[in-house]
Amino acid sequence: MRNVSRLNYFAIFANTLDESQKRLHSAPVDRGAFTLPALGAIVLATVFASESLTRPEPKHERVHVTYWEKWTNFEFDAMKHVVDEFNKSQDKIQVDLVSMSQIENKTLMAISGRIPPDLAGLYGQNVSQYADENAVMPLDEMCAEAGIKKESYIPVFWNINVVHGHIYSLPTTPASTALHYNRKMFRDAGLDPDKPPQTIEEFDDDIQKLTKMDAKGHIQQAGFIPSEPGWWNWCWGAFFGGKMMDDKGRLTLNSPENIKGFEWIQSFSKKFGADNIQSFKTGMGNFDSPQNGFMSELVASELQGVWMYNFVTKYNPKMDWAVAPFPHPKDRPDLANGTVVDLDVICIPTGAKHPKEAFEFLKYLQSQKGMEMLCLGQKKLSPLLQVSPDFYSKHPNKFIKLFTELAKSKNTLYPPKMGIWAQYNDEISAAYDSISLMHKTPKQALDDVVAHMQPALDSYNERLRLRGIK
Amino acid sequence: MTQSQSATARRLFVIAAIFAASILFAIVFSKTRIAIALIDIVWLAIEFSSLSPKVQKVLVIATLIALSVAFAFPFAWLLDTAIKPNAETMKNPPVWIPSEFQFGNFWKAITHGQDAIGYPPFLIYFANTVVLCSLIVSGVVASNAVVAYSFARLKWPGRDIIFSLTLATMMVPFPVLMVPTFALFRNLDWIGTYRPLWVPAWFGSAFSIFLLRQFFSTIPFELSEAAKLDGASEWRIFRDVIIPLSKPALAVVALFAFMGAWNDFLGPLIYILDQKNFTLSLGLQAYQSQNGGTEWNLLMAASSIVIAPVIIMFFFTQRLFIQGIAVTGMK
Amino acid sequence: MTRNTGPGAKREARAGFVFASPWLIGFCIFLAYPLLASIYFSFCDYSVLKPPVYVGLDNYKELMGDELFWKTLSNTFSYAAIALPLGMLTSLILAMLLNTKVKGMPLFRTLFFIPSLVPQVSLACLWLWVFNGEHGVLNTLLLKFGIEGPNWLGNPAWSKPALVVMAVWGGGNAMLIYLASLQDVPTSLLEAADLDGASGWQKTLNVTLPMISPVMLFNLVMGIIGSLQVFTVPYIMFPNGTPERSTYFYTSYLFDNAFRFHKMGYASAMGWIMFLMILALTYGSLRLSSKHVHYQGG
Repeated sequence: MRNVSRLNYFAIFANTLDESQKRLHSAPVDRGAFTLPALGAIVLATVFASESLTRPEPKHERVHVTYWEKWTNFEFDAMKHVVDEFNKSQDKIQVDLVSMSQIENKTLMAISGRIPPDLAGLYGQNVSQYADENAVMPLDEMCAEAGIKKESYIPVFWNINVVHGHIYSLPTTPASTALHYNRKMFRDAGLDPDKPPQTIEEFDDDIQKLTKMDAKGHIQQAGFIPSEPGWWNWCWGAFFGGKMMDDKGRLTLNSPENIKGFEWIQSFSKKFGADNIQSFKTGMGNFDSPQNGFMSELVASELQGVWMYNFVTKYNPKMDWAVAPFPHPKDRPDLANGTVVDLDVICIPTGAKHPKEAFEFLKYLQSQKGMEMLCLGQKKLSPLLQVSPDFYSKHPNKFIKLFTELAKSKNTLYPPKMGIWAQYNDEISAAYDSISLMHKTPKQALDDVVAHMQPALDSYNERLRLRGIK
Repeated sequence: MTQSQSATARRLFVIAAIFAASILFAIVFSKTRIAIALIDIVWLAIEFSSLSPKVQKVLVIATLIALSVAFAFPFAWLLDTAIKPNAETMKNPPVWIPSEFQFGNFWKAITHGQDAIGYPPFLIYFANTVVLCSLIVSGVVASNAVVAYSFARLKWPGRDIIFSLTLATMMVPFPVLMVPTFALFRNLDWIGTYRPLWVPAWFGSAFSIFLLRQFFSTIPFELSEAAKLDGASEWRIFRDVIIPLSKPALAVVALFAFMGAWNDFLGPLIYILDQKNFTLSLGLQAYQSQNGGTEWNLLMAASSIVIAPVIIMFFFTQRLFIQGIAVTGMK
Repeated sequence: MTRNTGPGAKREARAGFVFASPWLIGFCIFLAYPLLASIYFSFCDYSVLKPPVYVGLDNYKELMGDELFWKTLSNTFSYAAIALPLGMLTSLILAMLLNTKVKGMPLFRTLFFIPSLVPQVSLACLWLWVFNGEHGVLNTLLLKFGIEGPNWLGNPAWSKPALVVMAVWGGGNAMLIYLASLQDVPTSLLEAADLDGASGWQKTLNVTLPMISPVMLFNLVMGIIGSLQVFTVPYIMFPNGTPERSTYFYTSYLFDNAFRFHKMGYASAMGWIMFLMILALTYGSLRLSSKHVHYQGG
């Protein structure tokens, strides 16, 4: 069969043979001689274009400090405002703010590619990994020189930046979390909206009253869905007094307290059905959308952060809602006012070209004026202990004082400082799935995580030693 | 003959068994409609060849239409979403016909996010992708044509061993190379530039070399011999005899390279850092914010603009394309 | 034909090297060096930020005990085991349909090929909507036929089948290659079979399939390589391989190890294990097929 098609080609070739012979001999018009250089020129022009696209722009006069930040929208604008004010305040340094998605990965790649920005706005839980890799500069000396000190900050928002006794980053905007609840739905269910649940046990009763199911078992309205939106799958044990890791670096995720917390998670699947919760969740939209369960008044209460105010204002400003500290177990009154804290941080990557100038901006940012400009812009609390008298009166979120008080409580919940937190957290999330889908008992799931992660942590520490870091 | 007949019977038996199993499955789970549909398919398949040609043709067309509906459906949904108001993109139950046809979404998608970054990101991504793609495609065509010529039509010591080695490299999965090439480009200080993405394209790739070599070896050697007698150099033979005859094959290589480069996600994900240097496939992901808040209609409008050039190109070149694959004897 | 010997051959050899030089250089820099470096890295602790430190077989030992490694491996293989045969079968059937002489064929071909042209990122976002368990388009359609569809993306049992559907849907490349080879089946053979009174089935089984068997092998090998490397769509659709890590694939884990956890040495070891598996599978399918694949002379 090849022969058949070959024959056809022979016919074509025979025709073109003459032509190509002619072309070989007809010197005057040699198309190839023209086309090739022309094509070459085009390609060269494209190479030039591609190079000029990625070449950093030439910078003059002022020292330019590149600053990568993860935020978008109004949160970005708030920082942009601070940056603009800083640029206006002096004439030596110009900070260029760039919005960057997936910042925690991109920054590591840029550092290893030796083209880091001068400032990077990371998440608080990245600091350990970055510090372990020597990917960010310790700021102790510069902070001491500039008078930036521990005593000025709400303790937890300073401690997050400290790894192995050195400070590696400084806070940008902090957040604490609390139970957000829908007062109208509470009222409709016969509950007093002015008396939010204090203990987990009370909360369970309220949830029972708030949840509505149809005859088939489909959930129509939920009192509380722990995995909505599912950002802190590790925190449930912590609310029951569990720790992720002890002082000696042993993982304690399977401690009795943690197991209790995750048993509470599984109790939702037992009461309402794992599949029913799954499909109820699927029916709701993404967090930042009008279809968000809390915003569309399908979920009566949620564990959420200080930012929730912004989204309620955006999607359902008429909603009647309030905030209360998240409930604690009845037998552990010492765990009252527990709150998951989150911190956005800013740091100077190793190999940054202008660390001194970058720190000048940090100094400006960490002043009371700079901090309040940023935190008011993002409508969050200030990480500083001292706030100007009109900070609260200017602040649109009427619960801001509660969030600040919660951040000062002794029961702040925060991921352990470990370089492999990202991995550990992934594991916990997978365990969370198994628990809420009733595929594993909480004890079994948490035991599995520890059995898997303890060797990983040990070998990680061994690797740090090999790399000459620890 | 008996042996091949029994082989046929065995194959038929396997097919029948699979269908029987699925029918049983459907009945057990009381999905009667599926069961009936499956039984119909089996019946049709058995009886197909005994039907009259006309009926056969009608059946083929019917199947084609049914299947193309299934295949085009998600794509149609994409276009549908692109012209919807955002509030209707994720309604329950789905809105099929939008209450309002917002063709302005396409323009909005192009200028989306302009205020935040100070430039219309879509156009920037588009320009970046065009520049990058043209470098990759021209590199792939130029380098592989030259290399394939050497493998197909020139004799040199070690040629066949190197060619089989070349074929073997097609088995190397990209992930194996991911880490060391990253380290290599890092040492060259190429991270954050387009160079890691296009420079390798100028040094040939096994798949294209193989494809073009197969094609070049079908061109009769008499042509080169004749040209040689006329005193033409290898370069002239390559340029004036081989290249003009190989346009379909070169088009196939170019089109495969173009599609690969246009849709590449992993490469830019690793090497491109600055948002203003993103390609379209990376930029599309940036439309989708991490906590939602995505304007789905705009994302889909942007996607359809991204796909459009490729679809148009394929529609008009498909004949050449398929011929090209056929004559290269990709086997 | 007789080839020149003597000075002509020498000149030709020189030209041959010059013409092949881009590939010879590219092969050394972009393939051979990374491959060898990858072996070396796989015996090292390497974070890119620091020079690699030799640790012997530690990475491989750790891999053997890494539950997630086995999980992603089994995910990948069970995905490939369904996606590959199903994809090959579907694209073959489609190609056969597209090889008939019917009006409007260019349109049909384009329609079937469109899915493989859609950028993977939009594809992923699109399928998120199609497969949504509550108000997804697919389940709404299924409901019209009286079937209550599963929660595709939220249920570990259904998330992989959903990915398989997507892969089958986007199998246009294999379809095109089949189509091209089908068009190459000589009509003379089919006519001869007609004269022998062969039915349509017999023609397909005894003439067409054997004639295109080399292409089927080609698609099989390419399919093995491709489906074992599945990455982009699950990476975008299922962050961290939710639900319950059922969509966490080998390449995703490798990528995370390299670029999120900065364990480049570990990732290199994973890459090499994958390379060896693909080599073994390819070799195996070549050996197995040598009896069945029919190469024509020429």
